[in-house]
Amino acid sequence: MKDAVAFLRANPLALAGLVLLLALAIGSALVPWLSPYTPTRLDILHKLAPPGPTHWLGTDAFGRDVATRVLYGGQVTLAIGLGVVALAFLVGVPLGTLAGYAGGWVDAVIMRVVDAMLSFPGLVLATALAAAFGPSLQNAMLAVAITLAPQFARVARGQAVAIASRPYVEAAVTLGLTRGRILTRYVLANGVGPLLVQSTLSLGSAILQTASLGFLGLGAQPPAPEWGADVSLNLDYVRSAPWVALAPGGAILLAVLAINLVGDGLADWLDPRRRAERD
Amino acid sequence: MTAFLIRRLLAMVPVLALVLVIVFSLVRLIPGDPAVTLLGPGATQQQISALRLQLDLDKSLPLQFVSYLGGLAQGDLGQSLKSGLPVARELLSRLPATLELAFVALIGAILVGIPLGVVSATRPNSALDHALRVGSLVGVSVPAFLLALILQLVFSVWLGWLPVSGRASPFATGAGATGFALLDSLLAGNPRAFLDGLAHVILPATVLAAFLAATLGRFVRNALMETLGEDFIRTARAKGLTRAEVVYGHGLRNALLPAITVVGLKFAEMLGGAVLTETIFAWPGIGRYMFEAIRNRDYPVIQGTTLLFALIFVASSIVVDILHALLDPRIRRKVAS
Amino acid sequence: MRLTTHILAAFVAVPLLSGAALAQDADRAKTLVVAVPSDPVNLEPGTNRAEPIGSEVILNVFDTLVAWTPPEFGKLEGRLATAWTVSPDGKVFDFTLREGVKFHDGTPFDAEAVKFSLERTKTTNPYVQATFNLIKEIAVTSPTGVRITLSDPYPAFLSILAQPQSAIVSPTAAKASGDKFATNPVGTGPFVFKSYKADTEVVLEANPSYFRGAPKLSRLVFRVIPAASTRRLEIESGGVDVVQQGGQLAAIAAEDVAALAKNPNVAILTSPSQIIRQLEFNNNKTEGPFTDVRVRRAIAHAIDYDGLLSGIFGGTAERVYGPLTSNNWAFNPKVKDLAPNYDPKKAKALLAEAGVDPAKLDLKLYSFQGALWGAVATFVQANLADIGVKATIQQTEFPALRALQTSGQFDVALDGRQPWYNDPDAHITIGYLSDLAATAMTFRMPKDAMLDGLITKAQQTADTEARKQLYFQIQEEIVKRVPGAYLFSPKLIVFARSNVKGLVVNSAPPLNEYWSVSKQ
Repeated sequence: MKDAVAFLRANPLALAGLVLLLALAIGSALVPWLSPYTPTRLDILHKLAPPGPTHWLGTDAFGRDVATRVLYGGQVTLAIGLGVVALAFLVGVPLGTLAGYAGGWVDAVIMRVVDAMLSFPGLVLATALAAAFGPSLQNAMLAVAITLAPQFARVARGQAVAIASRPYVEAAVTLGLTRGRILTRYVLANGVGPLLVQSTLSLGSAILQTASLGFLGLGAQPPAPEWGADVSLNLDYVRSAPWVALAPGGAILLAVLAINLVGDGLADWLDPRRRAERD
Repeated sequence: MTAFLIRRLLAMVPVLALVLVIVFSLVRLIPGDPAVTLLGPGATQQQISALRLQLDLDKSLPLQFVSYLGGLAQGDLGQSLKSGLPVARELLSRLPATLELAFVALIGAILVGIPLGVVSATRPNSALDHALRVGSLVGVSVPAFLLALILQLVFSVWLGWLPVSGRASPFATGAGATGFALLDSLLAGNPRAFLDGLAHVILPATVLAAFLAATLGRFVRNALMETLGEDFIRTARAKGLTRAEVVYGHGLRNALLPAITVVGLKFAEMLGGAVLTETIFAWPGIGRYMFEAIRNRDYPVIQGTTLLFALIFVASSIVVDILHALLDPRIRRKVAS
Repeated sequence: MRLTTHILAAFVAVPLLSGAALAQDADRAKTLVVAVPSDPVNLEPGTNRAEPIGSEVILNVFDTLVAWTPPEFGKLEGRLATAWTVSPDGKVFDFTLREGVKFHDGTPFDAEAVKFSLERTKTTNPYVQATFNLIKEIAVTSPTGVRITLSDPYPAFLSILAQPQSAIVSPTAAKASGDKFATNPVGTGPFVFKSYKADTEVVLEANPSYFRGAPKLSRLVFRVIPAASTRRLEIESGGVDVVQQGGQLAAIAAEDVAALAKNPNVAILTSPSQIIRQLEFNNNKTEGPFTDVRVRRAIAHAIDYDGLLSGIFGGTAERVYGPLTSNNWAFNPKVKDLAPNYDPKKAKALLAEAGVDPAKLDLKLYSFQGALWGAVATFVQANLADIGVKATIQQTEFPALRALQTSGQFDVALDGRQPWYNDPDAHITIGYLSDLAATAMTFRMPKDAMLDGLITKAQQTADTEARKQLYFQIQEEIVKRVPGAYLFSPKLIVFARSNVKGLVVNSAPPLNEYWSVSKQ
């Protein structure tokens, strides 16, 4: 806790990001109570109303309140991001840790697969996978998670290799601790910092990539208020009612920016060299 | 150096093999029937089954993979289901457009990213540094489709400075030998065509470059700050070298090596953005070819494009390694031993 | 930091543009640039499968024997044929051909060329096999006379001959090019094919010796621009002269129309089409709630047709009441009264009467991809929710949707038909004949001796009035069975710079002719 306060004090940008992110999260969580509108109910009579006192960000082609949809979209988007990162983490970290700790052919096999996966531009692989699985939000998330997992594996492996050779781990081995316990107790526990940074930065990519898939029509299905899909479906209106596409588009930008501000600050803070200077 | 190169290339073999397996299997996951696409509406069931036979789709998966590899060995990536044309040839004819766009973006990103990183690093925690950091974070956070739209609106529709889309004006003359329009027009000594091509490439290249410039700027800043804190820099300062001499003579040179890695890796990553950017800007490259293939479920094209993107990635990582080895003999020795 | 890039870009751009403006010399006034949404493929009759852009190129590079007369498209006129007669049994067609016409390669157009072209298309083009297989014999009676004999009477045959797939090719060029003819097409039309650059453009040049007179344009460029928003920005900024209708059919044009209507530099040409978009049931199913016509009728009553037209389409689509559009010559006005109207109360009552609990109807509503279908699906979903029916939207790429549809793995789907020849046959036979139920995206009608008999009879009746009466009866029978809910017919919308004059927009198939176009 003290660490967290010190971190935010030293990183005003990260603090700004965190505040932005919290505001978005709280707004999204409370939107059923904050907004008199629902995200999917149609009101054709009031379609494409410009921003004003009754509809802060205007309405879309179906007369749905854009601000309400953006906030509900925040629920969807944050859930998407966290879900994707959790999935990528759960697949990548155990594999990477195993590779780094076991070494030998296990390491070789796992890391060649990781290298192969990382040989595709993320969005290309995610697009191809999402196209293969068929267009739905779950499939898009799965596709993005698969493309992010190798990065986690690589970070985890690096940590495992570095930590496994440290004296206290070697001591644990001589004390007769099982591999599994060593892995979880020392390797994973000590690798938390870099993995936290990786998770934060991945959260941004996860949101951006899922939104891009939504934009390509490979993600969420209407009428779900997913941001990427909302931009794509409303591009036709961009000249006459730009708010309909710009609001969800801006929301993607703000959310990813906030996450990256926090991630960037964390990366700085947890960098061992700077840490040494500071302590 | 030769030994280094051979080792480096050999190490790529298992990775490439796995890339092939991934590329081959991912399109087989697609539900739906490609034979249907090829024939279009109005086809009868008999025609569809005949085509399935012709396309190997009725064979077992391992057999399909074997014939896929056999085809690859002969440079055959299959035929587009939509146009019936050979995918390899179609990709090759579109590759120059994508590479041209990517190189312009790369140059732009380097020209913008590195100076900004230097400025930021030499004035850490100043207002300018904060502004540049936030700006670069915006660069990595902005969805490409949003940036593209804003640029088109501002620079093409409102200001009327640059064309909305396309690679050349339909009134421009001259197709060239290399397929790289900018290069061709220069070789042909046709300044009009060159300027026309340049006007068309600016907006899409800016969209592609935003991410790379931002990443590079952040990276150079961090690397430079680290180097500037190291002992030999302090020594150099103590010896009486000026600040600028230290920054540009020592600091930047040492930060350059890791920066090349970043550029190399992110260059291919940036190409991934070509799928969206090329589609929005009607840029006739492989990204847009892939986008339409996904819409049409054009199996061989999706497969071929994904493979090509991966090959470019692998190639650029090899180039990065070679550059490293050239610039830093220690690496060469380490890998070769 | 990107700001810097922009400023830099601006400094580079301004002098650039003045350079580019010079490059766009005198040529500009006689060049028409047409924005099309996808790469033109199959630019020749022997391979064309009704791809909209390829077909439009064919229509401007080649000629057909006959063509529908604009602007009504209700009457055929001669093109390469000057006159024709049809035998009383409807099987023998005699054509007198135009004299002195030459193909772009200089070879003369004659009866042998007609025979060659149609026989060639018959063997190489699976897309039109169903109708071309009716051709029993093509006989050259004189250098300017051709007799086509059909195995069965087929009055819509003249419509088939007006299709791009029936255009007449230069036998010499077709033989010389072999399977490369699609990228080197040679016809008799107003424009000569010049070049094709994949994903970029097709360039045509004027044919100065065209038999109807040389076109006023000297060049015609089809520019491929896949993104709808980009095409829209291009017409606004003057980067293109015409935005072809193909893209508008797949996007919601209402807002574009509203916004561009304010732009004095852009003219909006609209005309009715014969395209029908519907919610269709899987009529071949033998179990499930939709086998009960009351349930189908309930769904049809649930949809707010006028709300859809005004709310989503803002006047860019028209109401459809039954299996034919109101502008079709065989349209039966009585269908207007027979078609289910918007009446949610009645919908609920019908469901109750059929003993179906709406809450238990958990539907998957399949539809095509894209913003337009997303909007229609969202609207229909809300209508269904109003009568207590839950529907989940599933937007699917065309091939996958077609696979689901033809294999019958659905209950309800949003679908449509774009007739490629101007005849009621194009909607009725393919859509509702039970024999064809699984061959394409149809209404999957079950075996029905009466309806099947009527459809086959109408298809073969030579006398137009008798045929019309048969189609009247067919429409009533179909509407009675409620095979779907007919949602709307999109209008054909072409955006053109206001200095573009003389454009001809065909309604079926929806393609443009540029022969008479000029820029002022």
